[in-house]
Amino acid sequence: MQDYRHSRWITAALLAPAGVFFVFLLILPLVVVLVYSFGARAPAGGYEAAFTFDNYLNLPARGKAFFNTLTLAPLGTLLTAIAAFPVAYILALKTDPKWRVTLLVLIMAPFWTSQLLRYYAWIMLLGSKGIPSWLAYIGIADLRIINTPTAVLIGAVYGFLPLMVPPIYVSLEKLDKRLLEASADLGATPLRTFFQVTLPLALPGVATGSMLVFILLMGDYILPQYLGGGKVFFIGNALVDLFLQSRNWPYGAAVSVALVLIMFLTISLYMRFILSRTDKRRAALV
Amino acid sequence: MKQVVIEFRKVSKRFGDIAAVIDNNLAVEQGEFLSILGPSGCGKTTSLRMMAGFEQPTSGEVFIRGEKVTGVPAYRRPVNMVFQHYALFPHLSIADNVSYGLRQRSPRPSAGEITKSVDEALDMVRLGGFGKRRTYELSGGQQQRVALARALINRPAVLLLDEPLAALDRKLRREMQVELQNLQRTVGITFLLVTHDQEEALSMSDRVCVMREGRVVQTGSPRDLYDTPINRYVAEFVGKSNFFSAASGNVTSVRPELIDIAARRKDLPQGLAIRTDGRVLNRIFLGEQTEYRIASDELGEFTVVAPRKAEHLSGTFNIGDSISAGWRPEHARLLPDN
Amino acid sequence: MTKVTGHISAEEFLAQLRRYQKGSISRRQFLGVTGLGLATAVLSSAVPGFRPRKAHAALSGTVNFTTWPSYFAQENLDNFTKETGVKINVAVFGSNEEMLAKLQAGSTGWDVFVPTNYAISTYKELGLIEELDLKRLPNYDASTQEQRFTAEGVIDGKTYAVPKDWGTTGFVYNNKNITQNPTSWKEFFDLTQGPWTGRVMVHDYQLTTIGNALKYHGFSFNSNDEKELAEAEKLLIACKPHLFGINSDYKPSLISGDAWASVCWTGDATQLQRDMPEMKYVLAKEGGEIWSDFYAIPKGGQNVDAAYALIDYLLTPEINAKEVQAHGYPSTDSRTNKLVPKEMLENPILYPAAELLSPLEFGAAATLTNPLRAEIMARFKAA
Repeated sequence: MQDYRHSRWITAALLAPAGVFFVFLLILPLVVVLVYSFGARAPAGGYEAAFTFDNYLNLPARGKAFFNTLTLAPLGTLLTAIAAFPVAYILALKTDPKWRVTLLVLIMAPFWTSQLLRYYAWIMLLGSKGIPSWLAYIGIADLRIINTPTAVLIGAVYGFLPLMVPPIYVSLEKLDKRLLEASADLGATPLRTFFQVTLPLALPGVATGSMLVFILLMGDYILPQYLGGGKVFFIGNALVDLFLQSRNWPYGAAVSVALVLIMFLTISLYMRFILSRTDKRRAALV
Repeated sequence: MKQVVIEFRKVSKRFGDIAAVIDNNLAVEQGEFLSILGPSGCGKTTSLRMMAGFEQPTSGEVFIRGEKVTGVPAYRRPVNMVFQHYALFPHLSIADNVSYGLRQRSPRPSAGEITKSVDEALDMVRLGGFGKRRTYELSGGQQQRVALARALINRPAVLLLDEPLAALDRKLRREMQVELQNLQRTVGITFLLVTHDQEEALSMSDRVCVMREGRVVQTGSPRDLYDTPINRYVAEFVGKSNFFSAASGNVTSVRPELIDIAARRKDLPQGLAIRTDGRVLNRIFLGEQTEYRIASDELGEFTVVAPRKAEHLSGTFNIGDSISAGWRPEHARLLPDN
Repeated sequence: MTKVTGHISAEEFLAQLRRYQKGSISRRQFLGVTGLGLATAVLSSAVPGFRPRKAHAALSGTVNFTTWPSYFAQENLDNFTKETGVKINVAVFGSNEEMLAKLQAGSTGWDVFVPTNYAISTYKELGLIEELDLKRLPNYDASTQEQRFTAEGVIDGKTYAVPKDWGTTGFVYNNKNITQNPTSWKEFFDLTQGPWTGRVMVHDYQLTTIGNALKYHGFSFNSNDEKELAEAEKLLIACKPHLFGINSDYKPSLISGDAWASVCWTGDATQLQRDMPEMKYVLAKEGGEIWSDFYAIPKGGQNVDAAYALIDYLLTPEINAKEVQAHGYPSTDSRTNKLVPKEMLENPILYPAAELLSPLEFGAAATLTNPLRAEIMARFKAA
């Protein structure tokens, strides 16, 4: 029995850092946010103790921000996944293994420079002297991209592709290549093999990558601020505004709570959907 | 002569500098159970993959049912394969695995037809009622049978089996050998099995093709190969044998069970060509037979297998005992030493 | 800034990069994002060249300087670092509200910041800024300041902020692209919803954006009246789909040609016109804002000595004159004005005609904390 108690202590010690992190940096702040969300704005801004549902009742005033986030974040995630899949596929199945690591590192390379700097570059690329001016040469005149939802989506695909490729790559890489042969052997054309075997088995990777990108996009404010120019407004921007401009902390807290709840809901629904579509044991491993 | 289902004509396959298959002229006959036997790297798996269409020959032609299929991809060949580690689709149920081939057909069979065929195929491999299960819920032997059902449901011209029993334990392997043989007789489909296990090849096949370093060394019935191997390599690979060096690069091969032993020379049977005396170095009791390792001054060391049934004549021996041994002239074969 | 025709040139990209390096976007953000903040801190303490010189032995470390876009002469800041060994970390903001929010949240790490006249009394009331010890600003002389711009830095006889410069808030438009000659906020906002659609920018700043929308209807720039604010909000929300963007850092978009017109401050107009004479600055005839900016020291600054040294340095007439020439805003200090080139003193952007100046209003303290204004601005952005 001595040994058993001993191992329990070790388990507790190993869990302690994560536990402390979880309680102090996640649970407690969430409680604070929840408490604040029922408070009132102090006269000069900030928080004043109160108990009111006004902040929640006022949520429709940010309806457009919720709408933008809830349409553009999933759409951006989908487009990123569509763009990332062929990259991961070519890397995992069509590339000489000795080049794979190098190419993967190159895909991650943009992360070595500042995100803001890269968005600045896109501001110029998508501005009227950038891509639209080139398109004008082939007859597509007066195309305005910057400060539109399209620009935000382009930025999302560009910015989050490096996060989407590795999980898909991993699931494709560990995919048993004999399954592809088995499929061909049973008469499936390469295209059917892709949709019947490769894609379903890469789904856990797609799910992981999408989750990662979706969560980041849902909370993003820099991307919409820079490439949306204050016109494509996300919940993240509304929060920045409420905390860093209009100083309405309780309302900001209520918007945060709403965002957390929406995220929780969509992610659980999504996970449930993905789990129902993949072999449960495999999905659990990813 | 029987009809040929798959034929290789001077097929060679190179991977870079390595020649995996050289000038292979294999012919598989309709309805037979043929095994390709050889150690790893002998080219047997590459040959199989060229039949399936996963690899294309560097030179030479492949024919299936008399039709040239060189260059035709796997999904358009009327053959099916049972993979070494089964390669069942983990995201599909057992029934969906088995029906996979039918669902690729065009026109696609009706749902009712598919269900009926799947049930039949699963019954055939004694897995009736397993259709709804997932692959990981099945044992190795059961997965093996699913793989068989998945391939056989398509009624292929040839069923290709790539070391199908290698992943099973010894007892299960024995059972599956019998089952495979029965299955082959029942369905009447040509089986082509690739293995490195001589016992497997000899016990199941109508014919065995021994390969070595990319080339076919000898093809024949198991008994032919055992009794009349064309060289030391085949004799060594098919069964066990004693080799005694002979003149000009040849060896004399004598199967251990064909050597007679006795306590004294005079007790040996009549008509033996060779007689020698020696000592028992080692003895292994195997139940139905006993294996002796004998050292003789003239011939060196050799192995003798004495059946239990003959013990009343020869007696039993202990390590260190003096012993006499000999064999009939027709039991010694002069073979090229590779 | 190089003028560019056609596609993006390498120079423009580098210019953008320089802007970025100068702090047109928040350097603090940048350092935070890249993790370079810690690295520079370590470097600056380890590399001998970064250490203070003997003359300023008391000074060391870094001073965190919070200001507005394109609002300082990089040369001056570099020289300050050279002379004192104190590194300057620049962060820029687009509104007083943003600065107030940061200070209210606490732990900004700022040492010097630049509030606008109307915000100072609130900072003092909330106890967010230090009273200034003028003895430590030997180069500041209250008597040479133009009183109407400097009064709000002094509360109850105590100085809380010293004047930096003053300016106006009008609008700028590119008359290469624009054929109209607008002279009023009425025209500005009407054209925005008409021929200028997709080409106009407004500040991400409640005071000017709401204030000018109020002027459209003829109300006071500082109105906090609920009905009048509702009218202004209606106008802004009607304009929203027609705007190119909402950003207080509007120069890059005007330079690139994406935007043709924007609400604009004096100095930005001066800077724009240097390279692009087609940029016209208009003080609307209904009025708008006149303002002055100040240097102040927030409570809890880590490097107060360096903060005083930096303010004092920047207020030195010779240095301040360089500042004026760089940022293009008129100084409040007559000593400085003597050192500024004559053509600047005669530039109507810096010194508009009296009849244009007279309807302008100084921002009122109440607008800074008015919750309705804050919410209207936020709603407008979220619309």
